[in-house]
Amino acid sequence: MGKRRINNNIRKLRFFHNEMTQQQLAEKVGVTRQTIIAMEQGKYSPSLELAFRIALAFDVPLGEVFSYDPETESN
Amino acid sequence: MSFQEKNITVSLVNFTLILGFYSIKVFQLIQGESFNSTNVFRLWGITIALAVVVTILATILTHIGSAIIHAIKTGEEKSDIEDIEDERDQLIDLRGTKITYLISSIGGFLSMLTFVLGQPPLVMFTLLIFFGLVAQIIGDISRLRLYRRGF
Repeated sequence: MGKRRINNNIRKLRFFHNEMTQQQLAEKVGVTRQTIIAMEQGKYSPSLELAFRIALAFDVPLGEVFSYDPETESN
Repeated sequence: MSFQEKNITVSLVNFTLILGFYSIKVFQLIQGESFNSTNVFRLWGITIALAVVVTILATILTHIGSAIIHAIKTGEEKSDIEDIEDERDQLIDLRGTKITYLISSIGGFLSMLTFVLGQPPLVMFTLLIFFGLVAQIIGDISRLRLYRRGF
């Protein structure tokens, strides 16, 4: 398996949003807690729609939640 | 372990046991020199019926078991287990199904090859079910692997 190219700040954003729990975020965006855990651990890259829903849940632009690292792609 | 993973694990155990049962029965038929169409098709019926009934029962029992464990853990009377399927679950299921179909197709091809190579049709029918069960098991393993390893 190649290196993951999409990184996220979900854990950090949860912390800065009144220490929102994984369950609370999961309910807000309509997925299971396991999916939030997998995203935080870098084991799953969400769909574009889910990515937008997460950004909306934190009320921040998409780029603040997710970042793309093209360096790892060329390696 | 999520509810979906528990479901897949139960399915994996079920199909492994059914494959074991099937293999032993086929071996017994060959040993007892009663490997004929009546016995082979009866075994086909039993295996398929067993797979359907056991899968339904196991799904219900997993649901009940998960709800009880969840209720004990959380102390809530009305327990809400996470049995919803989100996009990640659907994607994993899709990839698992793809692998299952691939293995079934290869198995189907190999089964037919035995017929082409001069083996009796009963061998082909016996192998078809065998590869079907193997495909289901490999599909379940790959689903569990995707849940654990990520993708």
